[in-house]
Amino acid sequence: MNAAASLRRIGLPRLIVHFAVLVICVIWLIPTLGILMTSFREPAQITSSGWWTAFTSAARTSAARLADPSTARQEGANFVISGSVFGEGQGGTVRAFGTRVQEPAAYPAGQPADLGDGETLTINEDGSYTYMKAGPFDGERGRRVYLQVATPPSFTTENYDTVLTSQGIGQAFVNSLTVAIPSTIIPILIAAFAAYALSWMEFPGRALLIAMVVGLIVVPLQMSLIPLLRMYNEIGGLLGVPSRSYAGIWLAHSAFGMPLAIYLLRNYIAGLPKEIIESARVDGASDFEIFLKIILPLSFPALASFAIFQFLWTWNDLLVAMVFLGTGRDQLVLTGALNALLGSQGGKWEILTASAFITIVVPLLVFFLLQRYLVRGLLAGSVKGG
Amino acid sequence: MKLSLLMGAALAALVAGSAGAQELKFPPGEDSRFNWKSYEDFKAAHADLKGQSLTLFGPWRGEDETLFNSVLAYFNAATGVDGRYSSSENYEQQIVIDTQAGSPPNIAILPQPGLLADLAAKGFLTPLGEETATWVKENYGAGESWIGYGTYKGKEGADAFYAFPFKADVKSLVWYVPENFEEAGYEVPKTMEDLIKLSDQIVEDGGVPWCIGLGSGGATGWPATDWVEDMMLRTQTPETYDKWVKNEIPFNDPAVVGAIEEFGKFAKNEKYVSGGVAAVASTDFRDSPKGLFDIPPKCYLHHQASFISSFFPPDKKLGEDADFFYMPTYASKPDLGTPVLGAGTLVSITKDSPAAKAFIEFLKTPIAHEVWMAQAAFLTPYKGANPAAYANEPLKKQGEILMSATTFRFDASDLMPGKIGAGAFWTGMIDYVGGKDAQTVSTDIQNAWEGLK
Repeated sequence: MNAAASLRRIGLPRLIVHFAVLVICVIWLIPTLGILMTSFREPAQITSSGWWTAFTSAARTSAARLADPSTARQEGANFVISGSVFGEGQGGTVRAFGTRVQEPAAYPAGQPADLGDGETLTINEDGSYTYMKAGPFDGERGRRVYLQVATPPSFTTENYDTVLTSQGIGQAFVNSLTVAIPSTIIPILIAAFAAYALSWMEFPGRALLIAMVVGLIVVPLQMSLIPLLRMYNEIGGLLGVPSRSYAGIWLAHSAFGMPLAIYLLRNYIAGLPKEIIESARVDGASDFEIFLKIILPLSFPALASFAIFQFLWTWNDLLVAMVFLGTGRDQLVLTGALNALLGSQGGKWEILTASAFITIVVPLLVFFLLQRYLVRGLLAGSVKGG
Repeated sequence: MKLSLLMGAALAALVAGSAGAQELKFPPGEDSRFNWKSYEDFKAAHADLKGQSLTLFGPWRGEDETLFNSVLAYFNAATGVDGRYSSSENYEQQIVIDTQAGSPPNIAILPQPGLLADLAAKGFLTPLGEETATWVKENYGAGESWIGYGTYKGKEGADAFYAFPFKADVKSLVWYVPENFEEAGYEVPKTMEDLIKLSDQIVEDGGVPWCIGLGSGGATGWPATDWVEDMMLRTQTPETYDKWVKNEIPFNDPAVVGAIEEFGKFAKNEKYVSGGVAAVASTDFRDSPKGLFDIPPKCYLHHQASFISSFFPPDKKLGEDADFFYMPTYASKPDLGTPVLGAGTLVSITKDSPAAKAFIEFLKTPIAHEVWMAQAAFLTPYKGANPAAYANEPLKKQGEILMSATTFRFDASDLMPGKIGAGAFWTGMIDYVGGKDAQTVSTDIQNAWEGLK
């Protein structure tokens, strides 16, 4: 089949749709791509050029210093300093050079430049130079020259190295897991019970209770931090529990996640077919049995999707962890430890981008492990025959 | 199964990243730049604290945190106290949450006297006592000013000395690249008139004199407040400055409007600033000085506090590839002397304990200052600390600027109430650079201040 025939088979409208989807996907991914590229570049590159230039062999203007006058040797009447403008590990092709910062590319590489005062300077393409003067050189420091150098694109894994080997990062990783896993499981357990009761058990004030839970969703977390911590400290003081502990942050995360969890799960559970629950009741099942044997398996997609929400939120959280767990070296969660790497003034893009990709690994793993539960329609066929 | 795998990986990472006990950076008794006698004396006087714990909370993170920990290690070694330092990106909010909720650290170190005054007024700080206040007055350069910045009204409304100054920053600095100056034949200006002349000269030669960047995420605008404060000290008396800080003269007083306009002479001059006026508010303050080192240079001058050198490209050697001079004063106003705008961090006790008291005593020993001085950017107004301990020449030069100041004034925006100094003042400056005039902007800020009363 030739191309035209296959094009006809697909059809123009579909082609346009596919193309549009592709374009949107690419646009959507550009920021992530930018962060990824930046995380592999050196700090100096990041501030001097954009990440999209990373693959091009750019002509960069830089400065170098010639060897200092004490290394000059005498050749006849002339004094000569020679060497290479590139230090160890550096390289590139010199296109042009200059001796004044205002004109950094005044002379082409390989040709002797007359600097006046009996001085000539030649810088070759490979970086070697000869600096000649018809008399002794003076001064202590070597002369500064400016170069236009074509450098091949270069990438580094040093940023990842810095982040991964920084002190306490392993401890922080464990801390993050210790916070995030119970903080995901506890609210789901409680919320599933509550959601069942709120949707299938008849008791007075049920509607009011649901309204209250929905109302609680809008309470901003930042507003309740201080009263909550104070309450926790006071109760903890009575029971002899220290003010900063995992129990505290589990409770806090559970409480902050609970309203949304109950709301989401209730909506889902209330939408389950009435027939199954009623037939189970007729068969003599108790509420607990119905919940355990029917509701829980059927609402797995909802539980999984909430688990992803809650896990991502607790994993990415910085504020609640700082307040309830503390800021000490051994109490920091991953977000806190990475944040501390940025220093007092911040602004270290290379660290920021590399750590973004390191923290992203766990949530991605969780997402891919749970996502098949999201797409699988567990409900299909469950009410066959009524 | 998968979870246990994850945990296994995490544990492996933990073992790899576990930290060793902190060692003393300079072995006691070895280097004559350090006052080891003060260390030994302190050790002898505080032998009874062994095993106590001390929590410290402050603004330093990253490299600064390592540096402070190296100082703390000497305190821990001398007393046997288990002192632990921690920080947070939002330390200003964190300390408020911690104190209000009833789980504060023992020691809080903060760079904002305004915030400390708030905490003192709510009764969260423990007074350091008359004796410490007298010590600061006698042993610190411009000691009287420093006491003022550590004295607040307590819960009962009585003034007391609450915060011990430790580590200072000099803000009145202009950075430049000496070799760029040499090549172009420029001289370091001695007066403000010369500085303006130099700026004009650079423009005439086809260059751009200034790099000014006000961007700083949520704090965008603060570098402009330093400019205005420096101009305030160069056009008005220190007394007027103090009145301005306390709002005893309104923000839209001609004196203040004048200072803002002085700043505008630089920042709102299209020919003076790299990238044009439009770039001023959007350029990040951390990226802004890099223009000095571009080839050809994007600019020749940059006004910023001493800390900015840590944002220079890593291969630039301070004192050779980059240097600074004191932001000059107007020759036409000789009676104002040589004012220095600065900032500093203040140490206060948020939960009293013998170890916390001992830590304040520790800060009175020269060694506490010298250990940090010898490593990196640390300035101290403490006369007892040996200037020879400064890690490099530029630092020593900054120390001299600090010590020789006829007037030392703390960063006004840190002294004003948070809503002004860390709010209306910042946004006002962005509006000003964005095109509004100084009178309108300062009236807006004054209105915001009225709203707080």
